Amino acid sequence: MTYGGGVDVGSTQTKAIILSEDRKIVGRALINTGANVSMAAERAFREAIHSAGIASDSIAYVVGTGYGRYKVNFGNAQITEISCHARGANFLFPKTRTVIDMGGQDAKGIRVGEQGDVKDFVMNDKCAAGTGRFLSNAAETVGLSLDKIGPISLEAKKPVRLSTVCAVFVESDIMSYLAEGKTVPDILGGVHSAIAARTVALVRRVGIEPEVAFTGGVSRNIGMVKALEEKLGLPVNVCDDSHFIGAIGAAIFALERALGSDASERSGKRGQAAAPASSPTAR
Amino acid sequence: MAQGTAKTDYQGRIHNLQKDMIGRYYSRLTAAAENKGEKAIYMLISGNPVELIEAFDMIPVYPEVNALQLAVKKQSLPLILAAEEMGYSTDNCAYVKADIGMYFAGRKTPFATIPEPDLILCNYVGCNVYLQWFEHLKEYSKAPIYNLDVPFFRTRSEDPSEEDVHYVVKQLEELIEILERMSGKKLDYQKLQHIVELSGETGALWSEIKRLARQRPTPFDAYFDSVMMMAPLYCLRGTEDGLWFFQEAYKEMKQRADNREGPLSEEKFRVVMEGPPPWPYLRQFRDMFSRWGAVAVASTYSTVGGIWEFGFRHDPQHPLESIARHMLQWNLTNRNFLQRYRQIKEYVDDWAADALVIHSVKSCRLFSAGQGDMREYFTKQLNVPTLLIESDLEDPRYFSEAQLRNRVDAFFEALEHQRMLVKS
Amino acid sequence: MRKEGIVATTLIPEMVSLDSLFAFCRETAQDPEFTVAKRWLAEHPGKKAIGCFPIYCPVELIHASGMLPLGIIGAGNQIEITFADARFQSFVCSIVKSTLELGLTNRLKFLEGMLFHSICDPARNLSSVFERNFPDLLVEYIHFPQNFASPLARQYLATEYRRILDSLAQRSGHRPTPDDLNYSIELYNRIRARLREIYQIRTETPHLLSAAESFVLTRAGTLMAPEDFLKLLDRAVVDLPRRPIRPKDRIRVVLEGSFCELPPVGLIETLEEAGCYILDDDFLRGWRWFTEDVPLQENPLAALAESYSERAYYSGTKHDSREAKAAHLIRLAKEKKADAVVFQAAKFCEPALFDYALYRKALEDAKIPHLLLEFEEKTWSFDRARSEAETFVESLLFD
Repeated sequence: MTYGGGVDVGSTQTKAIILSEDRKIVGRALINTGANVSMAAERAFREAIHSAGIASDSIAYVVGTGYGRYKVNFGNAQITEISCHARGANFLFPKTRTVIDMGGQDAKGIRVGEQGDVKDFVMNDKCAAGTGRFLSNAAETVGLSLDKIGPISLEAKKPVRLSTVCAVFVESDIMSYLAEGKTVPDILGGVHSAIAARTVALVRRVGIEPEVAFTGGVSRNIGMVKALEEKLGLPVNVCDDSHFIGAIGAAIFALERALGSDASERSGKRGQAAAPASSPTAR
Repeated sequence: MAQGTAKTDYQGRIHNLQKDMIGRYYSRLTAAAENKGEKAIYMLISGNPVELIEAFDMIPVYPEVNALQLAVKKQSLPLILAAEEMGYSTDNCAYVKADIGMYFAGRKTPFATIPEPDLILCNYVGCNVYLQWFEHLKEYSKAPIYNLDVPFFRTRSEDPSEEDVHYVVKQLEELIEILERMSGKKLDYQKLQHIVELSGETGALWSEIKRLARQRPTPFDAYFDSVMMMAPLYCLRGTEDGLWFFQEAYKEMKQRADNREGPLSEEKFRVVMEGPPPWPYLRQFRDMFSRWGAVAVASTYSTVGGIWEFGFRHDPQHPLESIARHMLQWNLTNRNFLQRYRQIKEYVDDWAADALVIHSVKSCRLFSAGQGDMREYFTKQLNVPTLLIESDLEDPRYFSEAQLRNRVDAFFEALEHQRMLVKS
Repeated sequence: MRKEGIVATTLIPEMVSLDSLFAFCRETAQDPEFTVAKRWLAEHPGKKAIGCFPIYCPVELIHASGMLPLGIIGAGNQIEITFADARFQSFVCSIVKSTLELGLTNRLKFLEGMLFHSICDPARNLSSVFERNFPDLLVEYIHFPQNFASPLARQYLATEYRRILDSLAQRSGHRPTPDDLNYSIELYNRIRARLREIYQIRTETPHLLSAAESFVLTRAGTLMAPEDFLKLLDRAVVDLPRRPIRPKDRIRVVLEGSFCELPPVGLIETLEEAGCYILDDDFLRGWRWFTEDVPLQENPLAALAESYSERAYYSGTKHDSREAKAAHLIRLAKEKKADAVVFQAAKFCEPALFDYALYRKALEDAKIPHLLLEFEEKTWSFDRARSEAETFVESLLFD
């Protein structure tokens, strides 16, 4: 049995997935990245192997992804998280044509082909508007934990209109509204609506086609899911594994290369240093 | 898959030649600054009547080129900050800020002392910031200013109207009167014709060099290497030196083309580049593309000073009229946005490019405002893979290497993957 | 339209109060659906409308061609931007995006054409984006000359106006005669004269008419037939001096910088409530371009072209190098006996922000206190602006 490994090193969290030859997720891990990125990658990988209950040398190929992908020292290749998110979403929802990814610090829109290939993409990584950071600042300001703000936002009767999309200034906006006597559900409704609007405007640049998959940490927020569906006029697909989509995509790439279905990477060997992967083989 | 870091620049004979020539140009500027040289005429590089300036033995001073050099030498930030302290906004064009900062810092740069203007000649060719920049310089320097008003190419016709051409020619005549008063001499018409002829031939050679890039592999990077050839084009157009440089450049590029040599060990992707480069980070930016074997076969930025590759030539038989047409029609900035789409499309088609890379710069809204629509046109209407990335041309604070690299990597990864899918 | 005399208006009954007149104007000014204009067009079948993007548009050319000129000046804070963000970047001013959004959400389908001109680079590119995305719309771009030192400029502008008339004629089917043009000039002269009277009322008795009120009045005028607007203005000018409002203790300021993107009405009110009488401003400068009447001459195009530069208020985008940029502002502040200047520029507005660098020095040299505010049309909460304005007012009052 051949296995492929994917390690997604994000700025706050590192995820690892082990995929078996028959495309089943057999192992996973999720840890905080912390200050030492390469150690986090190694640890997540070890934990995933452990949870799979297999020997580490039965993993034929490992792909690193995420911002810290070059720190996955034991990886055979580095692939951007855009490509991995597209593959991962395609794996979980084969009819996916658009991926909306909202993480802690960035937001992405990806248009995806039938085989999970990236047709087009757009990223907002210059400012925290429309990202998890906006939501966590908002949550803190109203004194609630992140996991509560989603459901409460759904109780909004008259969502407020935010005059800013800046994750820093949202706090003073919310405080103004609280002082005016607006309810917390209405404020949170407005917060979710503003982010959804901004995100949809971003993703429109690549074109929105059903089915839409919503990935990344923020996809676990039911308020965000509903707000997006409302702005899109389309249902969005989410799953419990949304945190892992990048790592899943990476593991799929790894598996394909291990099994030789990706001709350019057949010669990749594990254990090569963090330099970009092996040169293309002759075809 | 990304290659290891490849040797990315071309350091041939013309590289050293242009260094010498530009060095000499800057020495003339310094001499003018010390009152030992020619009269200094401030001008803008896009669509200008430098031939007239040279006919009167005056020296053109280009604040854009000075600002650019300051950025390349990583000296622009303190000057930008000084201008911001004076009241310029973070959202104003950083070329202007660096130049104003430099003006108030004694006009001394590592490459020259820039002279005060004897005349501020604002050749208004589409860029509205040009007008503001030069009116500010006028207020600071108290030098006389002439706004050479070139009507914007705003219609759907093939050529500018006769009224537009007539208007510009008449202003050139007014300009000649001004220059005659300043120099105490009458215009030597034959000298002007000779200079216009030099411009025409230089433009023709530049256009031939660009055509060489149609080949596979292209003998030079039409974005990053064009940069090296642009300085002589801007500063020395209409001079014997300028012509000689392009004769040498053409010889060298032709030889590389004949030997099928390109700037990289393997040319994997041919791209058209739109937008000015991030001058403070030229090397890092170039490496982001080289590691994927991506080379530029055409660029729009290299046509700011003039577009000769579609057949235009300065005509010594009609010097004023052809100077007028060059300003009205044959440069990038006086053309409208849709004309730029057509220009890029022609590059994609005739230079066989695989993709378009749009480098959007915060400072320059002439180039950048609305590039989202450009992207939409190329991806949705023409199916040309297009990457849109953002930074700045002068201000080093707006360059985020990790994020840019991520986007460039994702783009070429996808392109590579698409190629494989097509093959299988 | 022209030969029938003033059209009777059903907009506003005879004995209604000033307050409801201003309420009507405010509603019209904030309407992204152009209801008033559309109603007029429905009542005049066959009539067409041409949209005018800021700053100055020679509306007489449109009116004389038999069409209705309308100010298409962004969508304020009334609509969400969902499509236009994909076309224009984050560092571009909001009005460019909101105007495009109006088009992309089919709100401009009722227009026959749009007129743009050179004010700045984003606006110029916007005209191209309009052309590409709305192929049924007549999109024209006027090149206003930028070298006032030369008599060539004026002649050129007259020929440019002729070109625009030819273009408009393609859609209107009517090429105006000099009489048609003079008729329209005369009508708009009267409107502009009334507006100047209203601004004079603000300078002399600022407590009678707030800047927010004159703003919505002027803006409403860009969204309706000029004949109807004139009736409103006639009414306002008669009733204003009789308003029972007492003067308050406020500082006197002149405001500049808001000549294109429109500030939200709430922002203007916030400034006034913070303790300012805004004696003069450059809101909708393009629709109040002339300092006096455009003369009625045999050659109306020449009269309009000449008046563009010789009978005009200052505008930063008309790069008239015959005097220092800040000179007019210093003169204005002194003439109006203002205590201070408020420079209120739209975020990312290149021309305004460039001008500010020169103004700042000039105001400091002239010892005129000033406040710099940056605003965005899409704002609903004005707390921050209030704090800044109140601080500024206090600093002047407690001096």
